[in-house]
This record gives sequence, C-alpha cells and structure tokens, in this order.
Amino acid sequence: MRKALILVLVVAMLIGGGVVSARQEKSITFWHIQNTGDGPMLIQQAVDRYMADNPDVNVEVVPMQNDPYKTRIRTAMGAGDAPCIFLSWGGGPLYEYVKADQVLDLTDYMNADDYKDHFVPASLSNVTFDGKIYGVPVENTSVAVIFYNKAIFADLGLEPPTTWDELLAVSQTLIDNGISPFSLANKTKWTSSMYYMYLVDRIAGPEVFASAANRTGGSFEDPAFVQAGQMIQDLVEMGAFNEGFNGLDYDTGQGRMLIYAGQAAMELMGSWEIGNFLSENPDFYAEDLGIIPFPAVEGGAGDPTDVVGTVGDNYYSISPTCEYPDEAFALLQYVIDDESVAARIESGRVPPVKGVSEMIEEPMLKQIVEIVENAASVQLWYDQYLPPELGEVHKDTMQALFGLEITPEEAAQQQEAAVAEYFGE
Amino acid sequence: MNTRKLANNTVLIAIGLVWLVVSGAPFYFMAMTGFKERFELFSGDVFAFPQNPTFTNYKEVLTGGSFFTYVQNSVLIVFVSVGLILVISSMAAYVFARMKFILNRPLFGLVIAGLVIPVHITLIPVYLFTRDIGLYDSLWALLGPYVAFNLPLSIFILTEFMRGIPREMEEAAYIDGAGPIRTFLRIMLPLSMPGLATLAIYNSVTLWNEFVFAFVLITSPKNQPLPLAIWEYQGQYSMNIPAILSVLTLSALPLVLIYIVGQEKVLRGMMAGALK
Amino acid sequence: MDTAAHPRELTRSRPSRGRLFSERTWTIFLFLLPTVVFLSIFVVWPIISSFRLSFFEWDGINPTKDPVGLENWSRLLHDGIFWKAFRNNLVVVSLSLLVQMPLGMGLAILLEQGEKLFVFKIFKTVYFFPMLMSSVAIGILFKYIYDPVFGIINPALETVGLDAWTRSWLGDTGVALYAVIAVICWQYTPFYMILFLAALRGIPEDLKDAALIDGATEPRYYRSIALPLMQGTLRTAMILSLIGSLKYFDLIWVMTEGGPSNASELMATYMYKKAFPSFEMGYGSAVASAMFIIVMVIAIVSQTLTRRFETEV
Repeated sequence: MRKALILVLVVAMLIGGGVVSARQEKSITFWHIQNTGDGPMLIQQAVDRYMADNPDVNVEVVPMQNDPYKTRIRTAMGAGDAPCIFLSWGGGPLYEYVKADQVLDLTDYMNADDYKDHFVPASLSNVTFDGKIYGVPVENTSVAVIFYNKAIFADLGLEPPTTWDELLAVSQTLIDNGISPFSLANKTKWTSSMYYMYLVDRIAGPEVFASAANRTGGSFEDPAFVQAGQMIQDLVEMGAFNEGFNGLDYDTGQGRMLIYAGQAAMELMGSWEIGNFLSENPDFYAEDLGIIPFPAVEGGAGDPTDVVGTVGDNYYSISPTCEYPDEAFALLQYVIDDESVAARIESGRVPPVKGVSEMIEEPMLKQIVEIVENAASVQLWYDQYLPPELGEVHKDTMQALFGLEITPEEAAQQQEAAVAEYFGE
Repeated sequence: MNTRKLANNTVLIAIGLVWLVVSGAPFYFMAMTGFKERFELFSGDVFAFPQNPTFTNYKEVLTGGSFFTYVQNSVLIVFVSVGLILVISSMAAYVFARMKFILNRPLFGLVIAGLVIPVHITLIPVYLFTRDIGLYDSLWALLGPYVAFNLPLSIFILTEFMRGIPREMEEAAYIDGAGPIRTFLRIMLPLSMPGLATLAIYNSVTLWNEFVFAFVLITSPKNQPLPLAIWEYQGQYSMNIPAILSVLTLSALPLVLIYIVGQEKVLRGMMAGALK
Repeated sequence: MDTAAHPRELTRSRPSRGRLFSERTWTIFLFLLPTVVFLSIFVVWPIISSFRLSFFEWDGINPTKDPVGLENWSRLLHDGIFWKAFRNNLVVVSLSLLVQMPLGMGLAILLEQGEKLFVFKIFKTVYFFPMLMSSVAIGILFKYIYDPVFGIINPALETVGLDAWTRSWLGDTGVALYAVIAVICWQYTPFYMILFLAALRGIPEDLKDAALIDGATEPRYYRSIALPLMQGTLRTAMILSLIGSLKYFDLIWVMTEGGPSNASELMATYMYKKAFPSFEMGYGSAVASAMFIIVMVIAIVSQTLTRRFETEV
C-alpha cells in the first residue's frame, strides 16, 4: 500500500511539473524543417529578437524532419489545426492548399512599403498564383549541384567532369579504385529524382517537362524521359552508386556518411548541403569539398547552364486560422531581416534577397550565386511542382528505376498514366 | 558419469553463449556507440570500445532537449490509461464472470473478437473523429484509443481470473445482505489483485511502447510520448549516430532496470494472455 | 469455464429478480456501459465508418467528399501493390511461425536443461531483453545495424570470412522483407521461449523421471512426452503469432517504410501511405476495410481449426 502511495506521489509530481507554464497574451506557432546544421539556431535567434521587441507575443517554434513534415502539415490542416506559420516549397502542393483556403493571401503585406522588392524576383514566382502572393521566400537558394571530394580527385589525377562522357570516364576510374562515384541515400526517393530531372533538362530542355505536367500537349512518354531513364540505369549498372542506396535514409544523414568516410567521391544534392557540410565537418568542408554544375549531355538540346532547384527554398506562409496574422508577418520579417540574412550567409546559405551576391565572400556560395545568375532556366523539383499524389508516383517510379526493377519505358508509362488519370483524361 | 555431465554442461553453455551474442550484441552496440564521438564510427571497428569514452551524447540528451518532457508525457498517459483500463475491465469482467443474463455470451464473444482487430484499420476514422472533437495534437487524444484497444484482452484475462475465484465468500456476503456492487468492491476486487497486477504490467509495457496512434494523432513535441519522440530525434540528431543510439539506450533503460529488479513479476505481466 | 457449469448462480435466487430495475440489472447495465462506449466509439464505429468512406474520394482537407461508388474497391482488386502487400503479410505470418516457434522451443529446452547452472540465470535475463524495447527503438537500432558500410552485420560477416554473404540488407528488394522478418523474430522469439519454458516446467517431475528411468533418452522425452502434453500451449502460441503477425506496422515503417519499391510493403503500411502521405482518404479506407475482412476471415478459420476459444470460453 505504501508503495502504491509513493508511486502516486511520484506521478503527481511529474504531472505537476508539466502543468506550470507561463501564459502570454498572444501565441504564434511556427513550424519549420531547418533541423540540420545551424538551421534551428538561425530561426531561434530571429524569433528571440522578435520576442524581445514584442514581449506580449509568445512564439512556439517547432522544428521537424523534412519528409514526415509533408504528412504532418496536411494532417494538421485537415484537422483545422494548422500552425500560424508553416513552410512550403511553393509550386503544386502550396497551390492545393491555396485552393482549399488554407493559406492567407499575403499580397497586401508584401506590397506595403514595397517590401516585396527586397527579394530576387525569381524567388516569388513559385508562390504567386493568379497574381496573388502566398509565401515569403526565406531560407536559401537551393539548386542541385555535384559535390565532390577534391582530395580523391587529386589522388587519382581526375578532373571534374563537364560532360556526361567525362563523368562516365571519371566514374569508371573511381570504381576501378574501389570508390563509389556517387553517394546516394534513396529510401528518401526524391534524392534520385535529381539525376532524372537534370538529364531530362539536358537532353530536351525545360519545356518537355512543363508541357507534360501542365498537359499542354506534352507527355511523360516523350523520348527524353525514356533516354534519361536509360542513362540512369547505365550508371547504376556500371556501379556508379554506393551499395544498397535504396535502403539508406537521407534525412538521417546516411548519404553524407559515405562522403566523410571517403567511400564515395561525389554527391548530387541541393546546395543546402553546403550548410550541412560546414557545420558537421568543417575540416572536410575547408580542405576537400568542391562543387561543379551538372555536366552537359553531348548532343542534348537543353542549355547546360539550366539548373534544377528553387530560389527561395523554404517559403513561409501564414494560415487563415492564425489569430495574429499581423504579428506573424512581422515575425517573418525578422526571420529575413538584414541580421538574419547575414547570419544565413555566415552559415553557408544564399538568402533570396537582392544584392546578396555582393555580401557573400565564401567562394563556394559565390559559385552557387553565379550558377543561378547565369542559369537560362530554373526547374522546380518535380515532386514539388506536381500535386502531392503525382509527386508520390514520381518518387516511387524513381526508386524502382534506380533499383532496376522497371525499364525506362515502364517508368515513363507509369508516370504518364498517373498524370493522365489525375487530369481525368 | 561426472565427465559426461561436464561435457554436457560445456555444450549447453556453448549454445547458450551463441544466443547470448545474438540477443545481446545489438544492445552492446547501442549502449557502447552512445559513448563514441560523432565520426568515430566511420573509421575503425564498430565493435571496438570507444577510443575516448565521452558522456557528451548522454549528457546532451538528458540536459539539452526535452527528454524529460517526453518521459513525463509517457508516464502521464500510460498511468491514466492503465488506471481506466483496470477499472473498466474489472467491472465488465465481474458481469461476465458472475451475472447470468441473456446477452452475456454474445457480448463476451464480441469483446473477444476485438482481440484480433488490427488497430491500423481504425486509424483514419479515429484521426477524423479526434480532429472533429478538437482533441487533435493533444496528449489526451491517445486516451480513447489506448483504453479501447486494450480492453478486450484485459476483460478476457480478468473474466477468466474471476471465474476461478471460489464463490463461498460472495455467498456469505450475499447472505449478510450485500448487493452485487458491494460484493464487487469488497470481495471480488481484493481477490482479483494478482490478476489486476499482471494486467497493469502488461498494459503499461504495451502503452509505454505504443507508436502508431501517437504518430497519427500528435504533432507538437511538447505533447509527444517517448516512442514518437525517439523517432523524431532521428531528425534532430541527423548524422549523429552516437547521439541517436544514446537516446535509444536511455529510452530502453527504465524498462530494463525494472525488469532486472522484478524479473518474475514483469515476465508474468508481459506474458499475460498467453500464460495463466 | 462456462457460467452455466456453476449451478449455484449467485443472483439467481434473489427475490427482486422479477422487478424491472433491480439492483442487479442496474449493475449489469452500469458495469458494461463504459466498455460498450469505448469499444463502440473507437473500434466498432471506426470499422463501419471505414467502409462508408471507402465509397468516396476525398483528400482529407476539402469540405466535400465525392461519392465514387465501387471505384475504390475495383481499383483495389486490380492494385498489384495491395496484393503484393497481402502476400508479404502471408510470408511474415508463415516465417514468424516457422522460425519463432522452433527457436523458442529450442531455447526453452536449453534453459530447462541448464536450469541448475548459475550462468543460465544471466542467459535467461538477457534473452528476454528484446521484448523490453519498443518496436520503434528496435527499428531505428537495426537500421544502423543493417547499414551496409557502417553497420555491424556486414563487418561481422567479413570477420568470419563470409564476405560473399554481405549485402545491402534493407536496400535490396530481394532481401529487405527477410531482413525485417529476421528482426521481428529476434524481437518476439523470447516471448515464445518464456511461454514454452513455463509449459515445460508445468509437466510433473515424476512423469519425466519415470520416462527417463524407463530408458527414454532426453530427446525422446521431449519428443514423445513433453510435446504432446504442450499441445494447448502450442495452439495458443500459434494463434497469438498469427494474429500478431497481421498487425505489424511500427518496425517495418521505421526500417523501410515498406520499400524499396514496395518490397517489404505490408497491408498496414500501404494503408497508411495511401491515407496519409498521399491523402487519398477514400482509397486508404478501402484498403483498411479489405484488411479488416481478410483478418476476420483468417481469425475465424484459425479459430475453427484450433477451437481454442470454444474450449476455454
């Protein structure tokens, strides 16, 4: 009996501890996925500054994992319980939320004092629908580039490839020396999509995807998609990727581990990876890391300066259920004010604001800015351009394609069939 | 004779050691790696002792984040759920075990059928229901599903247990004029204590480790119970395997300690439903 | 165990029996009420509701649900991935039975044989550890253990010279399902071990002594005396394993999410994927309902085959 009493007391104490929490007048929840490297700190600093200036507002910041977030936000919206501030990548999924009245129209806020002129114009296109702006670009300019280990390349006397044939030759040499050319963690699926998007673009230019996805006369069975699939499977068959890539999780860093361990020489990844390298392994970053644009494909119709990615990667939007939209927008302005911009550059990012190229000294970031500024077009990630249901189909197809379970033709057919069905053809 | 016995024992111990490695090695790997530095795993032997054992990971988990909030959430929801389960199931079991009425067997059969229903098929409606009543993303959203899905087994076991209790005392009480409710409170409940204790352990362990409902019904870290939180830690400690493994070690520790102290009780509790 | 078997039914002779609202009636009503309420809201109603939702197309956010008749069901019948998930479920069930039972029995016999040796106390304690961890924690742990480069399985195989056996356990479509099943067996075998050990210890000592004096060898004792005596326990174990195997979700979700390319997809993971990440609530509900039908059929068949509940309830 006494034991039971003690147990009750202990539990009561544990419960009691949780109940006591300070109540403030206004509260704002803020979901983000900047959970690697300096990410959480960058947001928290801005939030702390905001709260210091606005003591009546309490901001609850919730960092999340990238992939689970996508499910979480929809579940929460469905429950009418969306956070005040949430993120998106713009494009198809955000537009779905807009259509379901889950996103506040920010046009007036953005126009006030010409606030929107702070941003690189390209950054706003992904969040502008029917002439209205629904998101604030904040985090980064994220384009996919090839990261490579300069030390390995130097040891083996290799030059960074600028064409696909050179890339194949470099890969062969690496394989002969027992090193995986590319590190890929593809349980996450969108990681492999980058190769496909780039190859399609290099082979046929950006229009082929746009016309297939928007149903303006194109098709996912276009020869460009099949050829891209074939080139990928050739790469897989020659052993250009680490063993077991389809079982590794990018979100938990299983891809970068191979790079750090010197077991893989290259990684095709969004430029946010700079921040991860910088914070996780500064020595490696300073001494051995290099970046190159995705190589040109011989005879391809696409412009080799084209990039895949997004300017303004992570956009923050405000939900209409937010009780304090004015405060929420003001908070977002802190998150991308001059101090925050400087902090982001410091931690290896390229915030999507005008004049950022003059502020950047870090050579690798400068390189990213140059690549983006010179790009003839910026292709948004397919899985973010497409509506979620089709994004899942695309990602599943990519995993099967890389796993050599379906032929390039089948990959093309499956995607075409899903898109055609979605649009009710 | 003696040499044969010795040989016998040697063989037994050898086989025993093989399985000891199979069942113990993952735990060794988990606890040991938690003492390693972030990049130590990349170079050198994974089984090796940490080069410079560091408490950084364990310390960071315990002090840096909300580890204790998660533990608190888990303790709270498990405690309340198990309490409710015990109360509700003992009441139902009493009726099923002792009161004859026309619906007794059919109702009991329905409850037993609940044993085989996989929780996953109710996820969508339970999610929709939870958000409709405004409990979405609250720790209390878990209470309903937690109680409901553990009732069938609890009722089944308690009913069997109560049927095994001799009737003499009840009859004596009845002659003294006690009604069914008093008989239940004064006689059946105290006599069912061993059964209730077993069930308390069984349900506590099950719910302490529950993941699916928490995964679907809760988002905010401040409301998460431990199993969901350790899944989320993977994102928070991306790339830091030793830190993640130290989270796992710490999350498994309470149960392992309780088990080592009260082995027989815990065993009996966890085998509830299979062992009588 | 049947209530009818007890002639001295307690409340039978109560004089107030004829009254409509006797204390006894009230007790039955009040004592069953909470159970009925909880089970109705969280078990019965959701099952009905799943069936209803399966006739709609709905993304979970929009206020309107489109009725689509049997479209989700006909899609389900032609959905190769669903049937693959179903087959995978069957593989999990059969391998769970085929591995966990014999292994559990072997370990139980081992522990019984070594009973008198002190080390076996430690063995028994450690053998049970896997049952104490949550499936999520086990899943995360084994994700790292299986890592082809930084894990412990491949290096261990290389150490003992089995280089040819190394592979990417969770990344290979041919192996992933079995790699996950191995973890399931690792986790649950201790349960059957303890179950069988208790049954072995329940056999009267003199029965064993008599058999051994009669010249039976120990293996023969286990085969022809102990096993037949344990039939009831074996049946219980089989039903528990069968029903349990149909419920797996946590471990698979954490380790592979059903991948790569649906290689380790189970009905539960597929249902979750459709309902939540893809937000096809209608189709997800159809998958859930189909799963319910399949589980019920299997449960009824196995119950008829083993008649466990009939003899005991």
